[in-house]
Amino acid sequence: MKIVKIFIISLTFLVVFGHKLVLAQGGLSAYDIITQSRLSFFYAGDDMKAKVLMELVNKNGQKRVRELTMLRKDYEEGGNQKYFMYFHQPADVKDTTFMVYKYPDKDDDRWLFIPAINLVKRIAANDKYSSFVGSDFTYEDVSGRKPEEDTHTLLRKDILDGKDCYVIESIPKSASEYTKRISWIDATDFLPLKEEFYDKQNEVYRRFEAQEIRGMNGVLTITKRVMKNTKTGHRSEATFEDVEYNLGIGDDIFSERYLRKAPVQWIK
Amino acid sequence: MLRKLTETVIRFPKTTIAVFLVATIFFAFQFPKIRIDTDPENMLEQKQPDRVFYDKVKKEFGINDLLVVGIVNEQGIFNSDTLKRIAKVADDILKIKGVIIEDVVSLRTSENVTSEDGTLVVRRFMGEIPESPEAIESLKRAVYGNPFFVDKIISRDGKAASIYIPIEKKDQSYRISKEIEAILKKELNSQQKYYLAGLPVAEDTFGHEMFVQMGITAPMAGFFIMALLFLIFRMGVAVVPPMLDAMLSVIWTMGLLIGSGFTVHIMSSMIPIFLMPIALLDDIHILSGFFDRYSLTRDKRRALLDTMKDLYRPMFFTSITSAVGFGSLALADIPPVRVFGLFVAFGIMAAWLFTNTMVPAIIMLMNEEKLAAFLEKRQKRISSRDKILKAFGRFSFYRSKAILWVSLAVLIIGIMGIYQIRVNDNPVKWFKPDHKIRIADNVMNQFFGGTYMAYLAIDGSKEDTIKNPEVMSYLDKLQSHLESLKIVGKTSSVADVVKRINYVLHNEDKAFDTVPQSQEEIGQYLFLFSMTGDPNDLDNFLDYNSQKANIWIQMKGGDNIQMRQVEDSTGDFINKNPPPQGIAIRWSGLTYINKVWQNLMVWGMLKAVLGSFLIVFFLMVWEFRSLRLGIISMLPLSVAIISSYGLVGLTGKDYDMPIAVCSALSLGMAIDFAIHYLQRFKTAYRELKSMEAAHAFMAGEPYRAILGNAIVISLGFLPLIASTLTPYVTVGTFFALLMAFSTLATLILLPAMIQLWGKSLFSAGGGSAFGGKQED
Repeated sequence: MKIVKIFIISLTFLVVFGHKLVLAQGGLSAYDIITQSRLSFFYAGDDMKAKVLMELVNKNGQKRVRELTMLRKDYEEGGNQKYFMYFHQPADVKDTTFMVYKYPDKDDDRWLFIPAINLVKRIAANDKYSSFVGSDFTYEDVSGRKPEEDTHTLLRKDILDGKDCYVIESIPKSASEYTKRISWIDATDFLPLKEEFYDKQNEVYRRFEAQEIRGMNGVLTITKRVMKNTKTGHRSEATFEDVEYNLGIGDDIFSERYLRKAPVQWIK
Repeated sequence: MLRKLTETVIRFPKTTIAVFLVATIFFAFQFPKIRIDTDPENMLEQKQPDRVFYDKVKKEFGINDLLVVGIVNEQGIFNSDTLKRIAKVADDILKIKGVIIEDVVSLRTSENVTSEDGTLVVRRFMGEIPESPEAIESLKRAVYGNPFFVDKIISRDGKAASIYIPIEKKDQSYRISKEIEAILKKELNSQQKYYLAGLPVAEDTFGHEMFVQMGITAPMAGFFIMALLFLIFRMGVAVVPPMLDAMLSVIWTMGLLIGSGFTVHIMSSMIPIFLMPIALLDDIHILSGFFDRYSLTRDKRRALLDTMKDLYRPMFFTSITSAVGFGSLALADIPPVRVFGLFVAFGIMAAWLFTNTMVPAIIMLMNEEKLAAFLEKRQKRISSRDKILKAFGRFSFYRSKAILWVSLAVLIIGIMGIYQIRVNDNPVKWFKPDHKIRIADNVMNQFFGGTYMAYLAIDGSKEDTIKNPEVMSYLDKLQSHLESLKIVGKTSSVADVVKRINYVLHNEDKAFDTVPQSQEEIGQYLFLFSMTGDPNDLDNFLDYNSQKANIWIQMKGGDNIQMRQVEDSTGDFINKNPPPQGIAIRWSGLTYINKVWQNLMVWGMLKAVLGSFLIVFFLMVWEFRSLRLGIISMLPLSVAIISSYGLVGLTGKDYDMPIAVCSALSLGMAIDFAIHYLQRFKTAYRELKSMEAAHAFMAGEPYRAILGNAIVISLGFLPLIASTLTPYVTVGTFFALLMAFSTLATLILLPAMIQLWGKSLFSAGGGSAFGGKQED
């Protein structure tokens, strides 16, 4: 698996470089940077397990908590993925599980297990911009977006918190939740440090910030991230704990059986 | 003291006028700082408990000011052309700065949750515009299948759709509504009509209309009064002193009001219109007396001093009683009313100052030759009018008993009328019925659940209480009760959301269109709901800790009476079906707030009326040095006021904000005639020593002056009837009526009373005043 991955990355780079040689000075195009950033951020490792603590804070400072264990398995670098989530908090949703099959080229498949009525329900939502578990993050913010969906322009190079980064403007090719996205991407490890989303009124309405980046299992991981809705004042802070990569999570975990009865060895 | 003042200003007329003009310029310079306030909430004190609570509810449930667009197509909106236009309108509205994008509710932007083949489907009603008949049919099914949206974004008959547009800041609403209108004009064709409603629109329009009133109606009333004055005096130059007096007092008052940082509210925008006729009343007495005396002596100084000497007391007392009448409004719990009352009182006293200084100064500057020539002509013409006045005087003098009986009858009818009075108001009805705001309001209430919002705030006192099935079911029951009331068009709450999810999760089985009976289930349904839309979708109905819930009640009418009925009926329901332990229920919302301040207004005004009645009564006793004369002076105006209000009750006109305000100040104004009458009568009686001779004298110049006043003041308010805002119309009509009644009472009832009881009064009770001469 790992070899395949390295191979694919090398291939991608080769294609990219072969393609953009005209750029000269070894400069990456905006598209390359976004592509690489997506892989580093959403496709790190072959699989991943993390305990996610999310705090949703409204304008008045009131808080709601979401605590969940998240399992992720990649099937193809930059391609299909599966997510499994088990909710520990809030108390009245304990044992609720949620599963997403992510397909970059079409709508996700989502299933929710509602323990109170012992029901697994498939959810079809034809947009990727709805809120992820009531937070300011959208599904796309959690699982990524295909680079081909936007037109990317490298605006400039910048220094953010002492780190060199690329500032890239991405404009959706077809109607989308946002009309423009500006990303600050670390020039060394390609993790997004900051993103600003512009709405239909051409005003910033959401701002993403990576507040803490740590090496976990040798993989650089954003362990604390914040998404703030600058218009409503609502914000969501997600902290990733116990992050582990390349655990060899089995394919069978991502099934209705485990939705109903969460896989104890993985979620504890 | 006043006499010395008059002598001084007569000696230096030009300097006097110059001093006042300079001061006036100072006040006029404050005008550009004007700030208009049209927020109905400001009818309540900042700290009034219901207002504080309403602010809290708005904050806790993230309730923003809302504009509502209604699009009506009589052929129905379910055709691809109309739908396409509606979608385009909604898309473009989202682009307007200041619109809260994710909270816009419409066919285009709102999401529907349904069940299809066992899958829970979340999708916008009209993410794509349906083209084929099948697609249109399925959209129709989707919308009508979700009760949450029927009567809200779509009318039951399919002829109207609406778009709810929350905005970030209220002060942007004017710009936003203009941009929305431009979009509607551009995107719709002649088949679709559009209506723009919502409180911010109403407020803006109201503010605009208020400026119009001040800029057009008030000057119009000014010109009208000027014309009346000219008709009374038949001399151009005679119009100058009273008009200048009126203008200056308006400028001083408004300048002071604006300069001291007060906002101009609906009430204070009426100040000029109130002040103008009142300010010049005393000037008419001066001019009238001066012309009479001047034609005899041909000495301006002498004539002026003599005229003023007789008038100092009545002028002071008429001014102070009017000022007290208005000033009594300071007792009301409604800030704009207080400001209005106090500043009009200030204006009246300023006018009194002008009357004693500037007016004599101007008269001194009048050209003597022209004056003399004019007076000669006038002498001849007046004799015929005098005959009528004399006949009038004789009638009231010799038919006194009959007059008293008739008055008694009028009084009884008036009291009966007052019992018919219905206390009610509705700020939307401050616009005339043909105003586009009223039309939009009517149309929206005809097609949708209602534009008048009230809230029932439920406080569970502990976190997660609302998720308790017992509480959730109670909300549901409460809503069913509310919706059984005719005036309530629609209610929405978190219970509707929970029921919807339950229904959809169970493959749209009607048996599950209910509130689930376990807290876990409710919690998990709400959690599921939070995964399908925006993080703030539930905010309007449920607070962040699920401790409080908010039921939205849309009503088709916003009359205070209607609100009160809903409130009473809900109170009954709650008494019979007590809520679960620890649940507190409280009303809020703008329709409720309007009811609250109107209630305060009624009682506040009653307090003000009684207060000013007492003060004026004491002033009269002091002025006449006689308890009985004091009572007699109050009687005619009591009859006048009671008949005016009786008429309000008998005609079925609601006792609303403007009428309430009128009540407090009618007293101070109606007494003016009586003061002048009694004061002049007293002097005449002292000189002539005979009731009959005194009456004969009164039927001359004093009657003329009083009648002149009555005409100016009752007709002077009439231009208000042309106003586009009903409070102005009401005030204009009511005052014209009241002044007519007061004049009749003064010129007919008062002489009759004096004829019957006057002799004993003036000889015994009035002994201290003119007893010595009486003995002769």
